[in-house]
Amino acid sequence: MTPALKLERRILILSTAFVVVLFGLAAMAINLFHVGLPTCLTDIKPFQKGELITHSPTHYEVHYVARMWEFDPEEVVVPVGSTVDMYVSTPDVTHGLILLGTNLNLMVVPGVVNYARVKFDQPRTYQLLCHEYCGTGHERMAANLRVVDAETFAARKAAPAPQKETSEIAKLLEAKDCMTCHSIDGSEGIGPALKGIYGRKTKLSDGSTVVADGVYLREAIVNPSARVVADFDDVMPKPELTEEEVNALVEYLENLK
Amino acid sequence: MESPNEAATASPARTIEPGLKRMILIELIFPTALLVLGIYHGLMQVLYRAGHIHTRKVLGLEYYQGLTLHGVVNAIVFTTFFAVAFGYAVIRFYLGRANMKVAWLSFGLMIVGTLLAAAAILSGTSSVLYTFYPPLRAHPAFYIGLTLVVVGSWIAFFNWLPPYFVWKRDHRGEKVPLAVVGIFAAFIVWIIATIPVAIEIIFQLIPWSMGWVATVNVPLARMLFWFFGHPLVYFCLLPTYVMYYTMLPKVSGGKLFSDFAGRLTFMWLILYSAPVGIHHQFTEPGISSTWKFVHAFFTMLVAVPSFATAFVMAASMELGARERGGRGLISWWKKLPYLDTNRWLFGYFFCGLVIFILGGVTGVINASYNLDTVVHNTSWLPAHFHQTVAGPVFLSYIGMTLFLIAKLTGKEIKLPRLNVWMPYIWTLGILIFSGGLYIAGATGEPRRTNMGLTYSNPQSPLYHADWQTGRMLGSVGGTIMAIAALIFFIVFFATLFSRSTKAGTLELVVSEPYHDEQVRAVQSFTPWLAGAALLLVIAYTPPIAQTLRSNFPGARAFTPDRPTPISTSRP
Repeated sequence: MTPALKLERRILILSTAFVVVLFGLAAMAINLFHVGLPTCLTDIKPFQKGELITHSPTHYEVHYVARMWEFDPEEVVVPVGSTVDMYVSTPDVTHGLILLGTNLNLMVVPGVVNYARVKFDQPRTYQLLCHEYCGTGHERMAANLRVVDAETFAARKAAPAPQKETSEIAKLLEAKDCMTCHSIDGSEGIGPALKGIYGRKTKLSDGSTVVADGVYLREAIVNPSARVVADFDDVMPKPELTEEEVNALVEYLENLK
Repeated sequence: MESPNEAATASPARTIEPGLKRMILIELIFPTALLVLGIYHGLMQVLYRAGHIHTRKVLGLEYYQGLTLHGVVNAIVFTTFFAVAFGYAVIRFYLGRANMKVAWLSFGLMIVGTLLAAAAILSGTSSVLYTFYPPLRAHPAFYIGLTLVVVGSWIAFFNWLPPYFVWKRDHRGEKVPLAVVGIFAAFIVWIIATIPVAIEIIFQLIPWSMGWVATVNVPLARMLFWFFGHPLVYFCLLPTYVMYYTMLPKVSGGKLFSDFAGRLTFMWLILYSAPVGIHHQFTEPGISSTWKFVHAFFTMLVAVPSFATAFVMAASMELGARERGGRGLISWWKKLPYLDTNRWLFGYFFCGLVIFILGGVTGVINASYNLDTVVHNTSWLPAHFHQTVAGPVFLSYIGMTLFLIAKLTGKEIKLPRLNVWMPYIWTLGILIFSGGLYIAGATGEPRRTNMGLTYSNPQSPLYHADWQTGRMLGSVGGTIMAIAALIFFIVFFATLFSRSTKAGTLELVVSEPYHDEQVRAVQSFTPWLAGAALLLVIAYTPPIAQTLRSNFPGARAFTPDRPTPISTSRP
């Protein structure tokens, strides 16, 4: 055998040994630290409703529904030391779920339920994000999981957090999915922010300008494609609303400063 | 004085038929011009994500639309066109003529397909990113366009078979030229890769996007996509390896350390590049962890030829450096032609190799089964694959594009001093860029996200200060990369629009092997093809059966801009 061929053989052996050692380390880690990957679950039908189920004071089950563009439930609170079984499903497109600060990292694929178990030993607020592109609202799809100490958890149970004040109009905005694209706190969304919209000089997509008065707002609600605000796409569906509901919405917008 | 790159890398020149020359030129110039658009959107990505931009769109193009364009142009269109053009050059140079009518047919399909897909993306109806995961639905023209590009590239490969067999008949007992073996390996991998994605597009996505069927089996579509998605990168990488094995040694001033290693690498990639796709799906439901583990193991094996290539290239460059007077155990590194305008291709090859060391090692990390749960879908991933596809692949492709165009048109490289610096500036940029993305990605920063609106926007309740360092490095590095790309485009177009100084010829750099041995096992494709088929059956039959057997409800179509299915969204 020529010296060069000997060297070549050594190169090959070195390369193979290098990757085999790397893989061996990975395999060892799986056994040592009990960190596996999500596997095939076919016995669970995709669910439509997000909820927190208590099995015991230290064992919980969360059903997350990931949909365009929110997680349901938006906030989950569990006590320190809990083991949480997380199930996640989607009614629309592919999403992701990463729980920052942990190794929980799941794909959410239409038609299949994904699962992982996490144990929480530290009181801390964890953020979970969608990490798979799921449409134009993807970048704001996030939720919280709060791990609190036992006293806080008990106190919270005794006196449930005050319900968010829900007016008729807030219910309507929620029911018609307005808030998916429009915000009432001034933050940017798929559609124009609603805060302070009344009376504003607004540039339209055809280049003209309009003062957003009651007439314009009514038209924008009833027939969204008629005059679209500049820099926004004509994607709003015509909502199904009664005359009273339209009146209530216009009045609400006039006072939303 | 001799003209640049003439003396040092003198190579046999072939006269070339005007028709073939014209086609190769268009196949190189067209995607390079598109690359201007693709790289512009790369730069925009880092600016949005770093929080320099807090809007959905700039100049009428939306963030995710730009990201789709960036991926499709850079990773699919540019690479496929280059591989076909380079393939024609290699086949003509080493073997002989191919049928020009068939060649123009393949060319036409690829051009029409690209224009269709580009129109679909630019119209704003196909912002589904280059992975086009259903049930996000693109315009049918997007899927049809991509299919035509792929079919066109298949036809190119079949067109090279007749000259190959004629050459084999006339040269019995001789080894097939190494470059030809590499190009054939690239297109064999490409055929293996594109069959499953063609099944996904033709039988699942096109009927569904046209509205002929209501729902799509998403787990099956995803598995077919990643059956394609990983060998795609080996299809991109193989022409680069052809250049490394057959040109880099000569450009360094030496010889190829091992012809055998080259052949083994090419055959090994045919064998292992496809049964590995599930390593992109480690965190997904519906696939059992056993098969994830099997794919993880095969992924480790497909890394072997890349590591071997790194050793062989270092050895070949050492031969070159010692030939040029290099001494000592380490100091011979000083004698490489880093900034030699007569050997300007060296920088384009060498820098790619340096970047690939990091890209290769992080690739092994990603594929290491459970380690993936730390980095999956974070910005760590784009950091990794930019160090492969935007490192060795991109640099060697644009270097060879410039080289071939200059030779075919008989022109001198313009601005040669600027040209030799370009790969080093790019390398500096990509190391900073990837460094930033690795840092933020390891703490969970998501990829493919318009972070300027939320996570990078101090006004937003979702603002993440902890990712700021990574983001800033990302935008600084990305800007340096864009400057390097701009330098390349200036050199490219200045050369293209300059006057010819001599008749155009087809030239390739040809390295001699340092020593030549006959290793029978790597001289025939047949056993390796059979092995590849066997491995694919083993690796994919059970997981595909799983996606078919389970009663997944089908998914209805959605457009990215509204949360209701398409059929019911508009009255």
